[in-house]
Amino acid sequence: MELKKYLKVVLAGDVDAGKSTLIGRFLYESGSLSDGAMEEIERVCQGLSSEFEFAYLLDSFEEERQGQLTIDTTQSFCRGKRGKQLIFIDVPGHQELLKNMICGSSYAEIAILVVDANKSIQAQTKRHLFVLEFLGVDQIIVAVNKMDAVDYKEDVFEAITKEINAFSAIVGIKPGYFIPLSAKNGENMFKRSKKMPWYEGLPLAERLDSSFKKRAIQDFRFSIQDVYELNNKKVAVGEIISGKIKPGQTVNILPLNKTARVKKINVFNKKKSKAVARESIGLTLDDMSGLCRGQIICKSSLPKVTQEVLTRIICVRPLDIKEKMIFKCATQEAAVCLKQITGARDIATLEPRSTGTATGQNDVIEALLITDTPIVVEKNKGFNGLGRFVLKVNSEICAVGIIL
Amino acid sequence: MADSSYLEELENKSIYIIREAYWEYGNRLAILWSMGKDSTVLVHLIRKAFFGKVPVPFVHIDTTFKFKEIYEFRDKYTKEWGLDLIIAKNIPALQENISAQTGRFNCCHALKTEALKQEIEKRGFKALFLAIRRDEHAIRAKERYFSQRDKEFRWDYQNQPLELWSGYYKTSVQDGAHIRVHPLLHWREIDVWRYIQRERLPVVGLYFAKKNKRYRSIGCACCCQPIESKADTVKKVIKEIENTRISERSGRAQDKEKEYMMQKLRSLGYM
Repeated sequence: MELKKYLKVVLAGDVDAGKSTLIGRFLYESGSLSDGAMEEIERVCQGLSSEFEFAYLLDSFEEERQGQLTIDTTQSFCRGKRGKQLIFIDVPGHQELLKNMICGSSYAEIAILVVDANKSIQAQTKRHLFVLEFLGVDQIIVAVNKMDAVDYKEDVFEAITKEINAFSAIVGIKPGYFIPLSAKNGENMFKRSKKMPWYEGLPLAERLDSSFKKRAIQDFRFSIQDVYELNNKKVAVGEIISGKIKPGQTVNILPLNKTARVKKINVFNKKKSKAVARESIGLTLDDMSGLCRGQIICKSSLPKVTQEVLTRIICVRPLDIKEKMIFKCATQEAAVCLKQITGARDIATLEPRSTGTATGQNDVIEALLITDTPIVVEKNKGFNGLGRFVLKVNSEICAVGIIL
Repeated sequence: MADSSYLEELENKSIYIIREAYWEYGNRLAILWSMGKDSTVLVHLIRKAFFGKVPVPFVHIDTTFKFKEIYEFRDKYTKEWGLDLIIAKNIPALQENISAQTGRFNCCHALKTEALKQEIEKRGFKALFLAIRRDEHAIRAKERYFSQRDKEFRWDYQNQPLELWSGYYKTSVQDGAHIRVHPLLHWREIDVWRYIQRERLPVVGLYFAKKNKRYRSIGCACCCQPIESKADTVKKVIKEIENTRISERSGRAQDKEKEYMMQKLRSLGYM
């Protein structure tokens, strides 16, 4: 049997749109649940005197079940059709839990945006759409949930579709598909719903089985994590961010600004004649002097070495211009200050906000960053590793950014 | 034979995390090795990350109630792989004859969590590698790759730090606290077995069926129940897991005594 790579799917959307319920139902219908898990939920529901609740499969904290909300992101594995392996990433809907939403979404390749057919589009849905676009998750399926509560009416579905399309256009993404469904009753989940004959598209499970296009291969980039000594020889270890490499090829090392030749690709107990993106390897170059963590080994068109970058940033917590911050991009770190905050916007409405020397929580800003040492970056295109970064205060990530 | 490219993806990610942790904590780091299949895979990944020369010690939390096969396996591969092994026991608790018979919650807490606490204090470890996985238990599914436990070993699960793209973490440690690093968080049980097959790794014999019974998860002899099974090879175990609906830890008593026992044990520092 050929095993496909995991397809990582994040479920975004408003509080109470039914994200956890949708995943729970999917796990149940696909036969991915263990008998023990179902029994445990039955026992818990009896204890809380409630109906069987699919969401408890994901909301495992006592506080989550009693409060009927998702606090933290979680992942569950699911058997899809035709050897497909799915990972569902559940994220919280509440505004104050946005950082947990960003955490979960950053692992995703595609997103299901769950909206409630009963309600018009809420601020949180807009915020999530914005975050998904920002994080480069641009394959989006909109699940219009709770269709049972609106008598499976087509006009309700059409109105919501229109509303979401209008906001998506502002953010700059286009959802690929809209599916009317009822997670609770299993309509349009695995099988086409008989209650909505007016819907001609595929049910959700079929949509997740179709393949999504891959991101384009880019130039060779390798971010040094560490330099180890191996039998008195130095080896630079790290991950290939993009592209591929072979022994004999000439590479540039930035910001060190020198060239060298690849002598050997090192992995434990194996010979290796080439390595590709996402591999964790060791590299021996003919000249290892000056190599250390944070240096970028690259090839072909080279990234920029600079101390000044224009960026767009989501502030996970309020930032002060006077605060000491660390810029981290791949394994590079540099002290940084925020200069010229421009274009601060409310992340949900995208309405401009005035900012002085500080930003609010969940603001999205454009800012000029000045680092105290040179950094190696490139424009964020297709969400490449040197086009994205975080800002840290006391080692905690407080903002997520992309290079403009 | 399964296509192995997805296993390479899992492996590469784990090795990256292992090297990040070593960069961050250096020799203040240790590896928890229970000799179970998961932590044995972790040992292998760590040996790969450091090209066979592991610069940090391994810790076995020994309740003294483990299966004898586990002790044999430990001694054999500690020698064969040249590992620096520390055996951690809560001696005062053992002298008081704490055991599963005197209460499972207390036994797990005293002989595992407290034993670890004593070892961390003694050696000044700042971080530990643990082989937990998201698919083992719904509580573990909420974990981060880098997860702090405070001085009292408490897990502040309601306010976990932001992590991104499996490469950006909060790594700093408060005084007296330690970080649990989880390089296998994104693996599933079936992945672990497919990887054991691919890499031809040894595992404790208890995992294979004898007289139609095998252990799917191993720990203390008193608190593990075997499952009905005919799987007596790695290949058959993989086949069995592909088709089962019984959860992996169904034979582990401490998971199920009461709802939220796992959450409560973990909030007190259990693994």
